[in-house]
Amino acid sequence: MGEVILTMKGIDKSFPGVHALDHVDLEVKKGEVHALMGENGAGKSTLMKVLTGIYSKDEGTIIYEGREVEFSNPREAQAQGIIIVHQELNMMNDLTVAQNIFIGREPMKGHLIDDAKMNEEAKKLFERLNIEIDPTESMGNLTVGKQQMCEIAKAISHEAKVIVFDEPSAALTESEIEELFKIIRDLREKEMGIVYISHRMDEIKVITDRVTVMRDGGYVGTLITKDCTKDDIINMMVGRVIYEDPKTESAVPKDAPVVLKVENLNAGKLVRDISFELHKGEILGFSGLMGAGRTETARALFGADAKESGDIYINGKKVEINNPEDAVANGIGYLSEDRKRYGIVVDKTVAENSTMATLKDFMKGPFINKKKEREVAQKYVDSLKTKTPSVDQLVVNLSGGNQQKVVIAKWLVKNCDILIFDEPTRGIDVGAKSEIYHLMNQLVAEGKSIIMISSEMTEILRMSDRIIVMCEGKQTGEIRIEEATQEIVMQAATLRN
Amino acid sequence: MEKLKNNPIVKKIGFNKIVLCCVLLIMYAFFSIVSPTFLSYSRILSALNYAYFLGFLALGVTFVIATGGIDFSIGPVMFCAALIAGQLLTKNELPLALCLLSSVIVGMVFGIINGYLVAYCGLPSFITSMAIMMMAKGIGSVFTKTQSVSWPQGVETGGWYRNLIKIKLGTVQLPMGLVILLVAAVICAIILNKTNAGRYILSLGSNKEAVRLSGVNVKKWEMIAYIICGTMAGIAAIFYVGAYTTVQPGLGDTFNNEAIAGCVMGGTSMAGGLASISGTFIGVMIISILQEGILAMGFQKDYQYVLTGIIVLAAVYADIRSRKRKN
Repeated sequence: MGEVILTMKGIDKSFPGVHALDHVDLEVKKGEVHALMGENGAGKSTLMKVLTGIYSKDEGTIIYEGREVEFSNPREAQAQGIIIVHQELNMMNDLTVAQNIFIGREPMKGHLIDDAKMNEEAKKLFERLNIEIDPTESMGNLTVGKQQMCEIAKAISHEAKVIVFDEPSAALTESEIEELFKIIRDLREKEMGIVYISHRMDEIKVITDRVTVMRDGGYVGTLITKDCTKDDIINMMVGRVIYEDPKTESAVPKDAPVVLKVENLNAGKLVRDISFELHKGEILGFSGLMGAGRTETARALFGADAKESGDIYINGKKVEINNPEDAVANGIGYLSEDRKRYGIVVDKTVAENSTMATLKDFMKGPFINKKKEREVAQKYVDSLKTKTPSVDQLVVNLSGGNQQKVVIAKWLVKNCDILIFDEPTRGIDVGAKSEIYHLMNQLVAEGKSIIMISSEMTEILRMSDRIIVMCEGKQTGEIRIEEATQEIVMQAATLRN
Repeated sequence: MEKLKNNPIVKKIGFNKIVLCCVLLIMYAFFSIVSPTFLSYSRILSALNYAYFLGFLALGVTFVIATGGIDFSIGPVMFCAALIAGQLLTKNELPLALCLLSSVIVGMVFGIINGYLVAYCGLPSFITSMAIMMMAKGIGSVFTKTQSVSWPQGVETGGWYRNLIKIKLGTVQLPMGLVILLVAAVICAIILNKTNAGRYILSLGSNKEAVRLSGVNVKKWEMIAYIICGTMAGIAAIFYVGAYTTVQPGLGDTFNNEAIAGCVMGGTSMAGGLASISGTFIGVMIISILQEGILAMGFQKDYQYVLTGIIVLAAVYADIRSRKRKN
């Protein structure tokens, strides 16, 4: 490790209602791989966005190569040598590798693009990195791993001095990860400063020199990787005081009947052999880090995405669920994590959204009985305390929490026995949050059963009767609430096998 | 202005529709002043002749646009239906009622094919309807061996279908077609606003995935929109020959654009989810008056296209502006 190239000190950033970064420090040295760790929502991405000028900071200083800087956009940061390799690659699949790398700064011969020179330059870059990629190949024909290497090559071609890798290994296979590490080590040799964001504990131990841990937008500490254990890092990641009482014991009776049984569900890379049971009156928490496959499991179960194999039993009877229609007919309701895209129809009113799943029951001959529709919608507006001037209001005009209540109302009108709540409180303010918790408890008390997917540890520990933990498409733990602690859940969530 | 916009009655009807009606009246007044012959009953009947078939086309395509799709095949489908039915009537001498029915069925079949390809096979509606348009043109031609088809005149036997357009009461010709078109518009408005079909068509145009995840068979309802559209093109064919008697093969595509223009003028959003039958109706009237007025002034039809284009741009721009302000 050489001298310090980048210092971020006391970085503070607030968004309306959220203190996203609370005086965070980060120091990167030349020839160092520095891990940045933390749970979902700890503020890692926000910190990197402040660094590259996507967000402006409220407070704090950034010192880069000995002088204070403040970039106003990623292009400026890039020009100075700070580059992010994103988890989702920004590549144009129909262009060639070389065209992608030199986009916006193509070598010219008069007014025409000098393709020969461009390919030559790209080839030189790959030679420097010891990668074998044909510069004239279409980007879309490369594997994700190779595409990522092109992204790295692009970074190098910008004379990068600091490269930020944002969860680079998430989409890679084992051998691709090996290759990536080889390149990262090579970059380290070349005295570059590297920030490595990842959830994978094993990788952190293998590739990084130091670890900075963040939690809830705050700075927890920086450790030297070889001097610390996996448990040290996990403890730093979760070591917060839980401000809401966790559930200490399950309220579900031991002999509660199984309402839903899933056996060996497979659907794509992120749903591998998932099996579980859901009991009557139970809240079954699904925990895991980003990309663990929880939403994908829920969608496959609900028939929203095609599944490869797997059996689903409802009340002991095997059912075929091939599309959402089947799922709804079998009494399953699904509240998506992305309500704008998958939950509400913004051009329609509260009443119209409330009856979207049950319109058949509101028909009078060929016509919709709008009076009955509005009455029922009003009933749920009252019972859920949805804040709306009337049921004729367009949902686009409601706040996030109230939109969520409209989606919940849709499934309550349907009287579903099994409800899947996917991140039910994401983007919802604290008051509405506790109302939704209260509502969930009320629903299970009435004998309904809930699968709750959540990335918030406190939410999982507060609401669940039982917790299923997933990691990269596999089920890595089933924990009874009586035994659950943050550490145990996090252990399972980072358990790669 | 703002006060006027917030007036409850104005709000109920919709500000843009009031503006459209004003445009219609101003246009009518303008043509009456510049062209003395315009202010005659026969001119009105002539303008309405154009409005009938165009109205059916536009009412139908409103449903497709409401789903967020587009149908560029309606004009040629209408011609294809008129050619096939006309051929059956004049060459094969089938009974008139059967021929009229066959026209509707031809339109419906095209709608079914179009809808199946878009909703179930996932093809983009732009491309699908383009292809169907070419096929409809070709099929019409092949069926009549590239001959044009003349439907019977009113006085001939088998000319009673013309009473659907104009009915003679003594010496006065009454615009029967207008009554039928209005009834059709009311039925369309009821389907769109009061039935589950309309609810699902509009909702899936706004957010198809959310509707699908509510357990609704979105493919079926999307296809139904195309079937309505095709069927209406088949009905439009009857009103076209009722007014103009002769159909030539290989034509009809300009009517797509005019019908879609009528819809869009009336406030139906090309993005889907928002549609207005009354708006479409007024839009069709504007286009019909415009075309009759231009003819009355002694200009070529090309001027009408230029003006229609300008009105569409202005209407859509105004619509987008007002929607942006709302958000």
